[in-house]
Amino acid sequence: MKRIIIDREKCDGCLNCNIACISAHEEGSNFYTVNMLSPDAETRNFIKFDAQKGYLPIFCRHCDEPECVLSCMSGALEKDPLTGHVQYDESKCAACYMCVMNCPYGVLKPDKRTRTKVIKCDFCDDKVDGPSCVKACPKKAIEVKEVSL
Amino acid sequence: MNTNFSCKTCASADQKLETFISNLSVDTSHHRMEGQSVKCGFGLQGICCRLCSNGPCRITPDGPKGVCGATADTIVARNFLRAVSAGSGCYIHIVENTALMLKKTAASKGVLKGKVALAKLAEIFAVDEADEHVRAEKIADMVLADLYKPDYVKMELVEKMAYKPRFDRWKELGILPGGAKSEVFAGVVKTSTNLNSDPVDMYLNCLKLGISTGLYGLTLTNLLNDVMLGEPSIRLAPVGLRVIDTDYINIMITGHQHSIFAYLQDRLIQDDVIEKAKAVGAKGFKLVGCTCVGQDLQLRGEHYQEVFNGHAGNNFTSEAILATGAIDAVLSEFNCTLPGIEPICDELKIKQICLDDVAKKANAEMKPFVFEEKESQSNDIIDSVIEAYQARRGVVALNMDADHGNDDTLTGVSEGSLKSFLGGTWKPLIDLIVKGEIKGIAGVVGCSSLTAGGHDVLTVNLVKELIAKDILVLSAGCSSGGLENVGLMSPSAASQAGSKLRAVCESLGIPPVLNFGPCLAIGRLELVATELAEAIGVDLPQLPLVLSAPQWLEEQALADGAFGLALGLPLHLGLPPFVTGSPVAVQVFTQDMLNLTGGQLIIDDNAQSAAQTLDAIIEKKRKELNI
Ligand code: SF4
Ligand code: SF4
Ligand code: SF4
Ligand code: SF4
Repeated sequence: MKRIIIDREKCDGCLNCNIACISAHEEGSNFYTVNMLSPDAETRNFIKFDAQKGYLPIFCRHCDEPECVLSCMSGALEKDPLTGHVQYDESKCAACYMCVMNCPYGVLKPDKRTRTKVIKCDFCDDKVDGPSCVKACPKKAIEVKEVSL
Repeated sequence: MNTNFSCKTCASADQKLETFISNLSVDTSHHRMEGQSVKCGFGLQGICCRLCSNGPCRITPDGPKGVCGATADTIVARNFLRAVSAGSGCYIHIVENTALMLKKTAASKGVLKGKVALAKLAEIFAVDEADEHVRAEKIADMVLADLYKPDYVKMELVEKMAYKPRFDRWKELGILPGGAKSEVFAGVVKTSTNLNSDPVDMYLNCLKLGISTGLYGLTLTNLLNDVMLGEPSIRLAPVGLRVIDTDYINIMITGHQHSIFAYLQDRLIQDDVIEKAKAVGAKGFKLVGCTCVGQDLQLRGEHYQEVFNGHAGNNFTSEAILATGAIDAVLSEFNCTLPGIEPICDELKIKQICLDDVAKKANAEMKPFVFEEKESQSNDIIDSVIEAYQARRGVVALNMDADHGNDDTLTGVSEGSLKSFLGGTWKPLIDLIVKGEIKGIAGVVGCSSLTAGGHDVLTVNLVKELIAKDILVLSAGCSSGGLENVGLMSPSAASQAGSKLRAVCESLGIPPVLNFGPCLAIGRLELVATELAEAIGVDLPQLPLVLSAPQWLEEQALADGAFGLALGLPLHLGLPPFVTGSPVAVQVFTQDMLNLTGGQLIIDDNAQSAAQTLDAIIEKKRKELNI
């Protein structure tokens, strides 16, 4: 199963992973055309800065025992047994945001514009050339690794 | 041969060059592309600002403004105007030096090879002096006087040089430039922190810089050089790595300021210097062309047949030219002198001398050109090049490619030589356009880059598409260096043109892509366009004429582009000039410009669809002209 593994020390806080993620979710866009000012522009990964530790890349871990899935009562979040990815189905979501409160990494959030759905990493739908954020990271601070359960 | 590198180099439209570079053991730009393949999205969109210590600020969904409140529109416009100002500064530096050189050459009663150009300038400037040296000096003084005016005093030659309908439009828009050097200063001031925040004002300022860059930096640089160095005349010449002759002491020249080499290139073929070369076992000296100054020498090659061996390649061919091992020295005076040549020169013991400190290379000897000392300086240069030759030849391995390039590139095309070729009038060309034998004209200009598919890839593919649609291509800049090396400027390339253009080319014995030489010659294209418009009696935006800088590289190209837009021409670029993060920029460049100047920016990195768009514009303009 593939996971995005973070090497915090390498991150320079360039936010290229943010742009890549926003672009991956704006149909037909690329790095030149992605609309950063759109109310729908949402990144599914985050970079926080800590004065002591430096940059902290926050990415969905697609956890083995995902708190988001365990706390979701409507079945909108599920862990795919084959890929290992934790998937979100908007149509089943009741917008109760239990998952947002329970994710230990704080990676989930309601969408900005409608506040009726959850913004969650979809592992870029398992694109053949891998997650967009990983491709865009100039420091190789995030990499896809195969992990076994 | 080091096959470790073979899979890593980027593609080139020039297959032979791609193979040559992929087999090199030295590191080149083509090798470094891969390591730089991950690009910063904020940079590409132009929405990163690092003008103050509160930054760098980047526009993100959670941070739609910089700390100071600057929006994406303001940040993009500031970055863009800064780049255009810098690009303009580069060209203004070139024309300033060129005018100073003409002034000193004339004052010292030096040789003036271009009588026609001198007469032409005297007529445009209304200079009425019998003595040619006095006349030339006066012309140089008039150019310098304009360049040195403050930004609040308009330059006087603009009205004399510009096409009347254009001049009137510029005046209406309030974009007539003041002193060209001061305008660069004004552009830099305007874009500093917490100053101008009005994107539209800044884009109009870009047009103003485009005018001063185009008329002075481009058009006048050519004409002043013509006076000193002789006018271009049409001829067939060899191009590519094949031009390097290992029997000679070879000097590669890089830059844009041809007149700096004027004395040296004549000196290199004098008997005593040839004797010096023979004494160390060489047949003499040869200059090998690279970058725009090489294109310029090629353009005037008729006058320099003995010393000039031909143009080897464009900016991103320079490392390969050095890697042949047969170059003994590099003389540089401007861009594009890549920092990447430095380790290659060290490794292959190639002497580097810089003649203008703006292009000082870290490991090169600095020898600022001084007109009054040109005799002794040239002798010193000759001696140190001979020293390098002795130290390296026989020690450094040669890696030649006699197969690269061709022997029959048509060069020497200019506004003057083309018109004489047509019989001293534009009528034959206009007739061909009216009849549709030539559907329209595309100026494919500017640089070469390693993006947009690879080295010259988009340029070459776009040109092939255009000529197949019976559109005659005129090229100026490093684009020419790439197009000639792949054979598109050889008469035999006519077979790749559409049937009508092919017939025209075959009957005249010319290629479908005409080589105007260096990027400076974009100014010559402007002269051609203006003379055609005058002859037909229309304004420039009405002509079935489009511009494209498919692989624009740097700030100078952006200043050129601003000139193209000020002229009211449709301008295609392969990749956006770092402005797409601003909705206002996109609106101004792709829509509003049509109402301002008649120009329009088209961004497309696909050769086929870009050619279709340009073709449709040409068709539309033909319809509007009822042809
Ligand atoms: S959203 Fe949080 S809890 Fe759920 S899989 Fe991702 S990291 Fe784990
Ligand atoms: S894998 Fe795709 S969806 Fe997930 S954070 Fe990266 S870019 Fe965003
Ligand atoms: S792209 Fe890489 S280096 Fe840049 S912020 Fe994201 S994780 Fe850090
Ligand atoms: S000038 Fe404004 S946008 Fe630029 S770095 Fe400073 S605060 Fe940020």
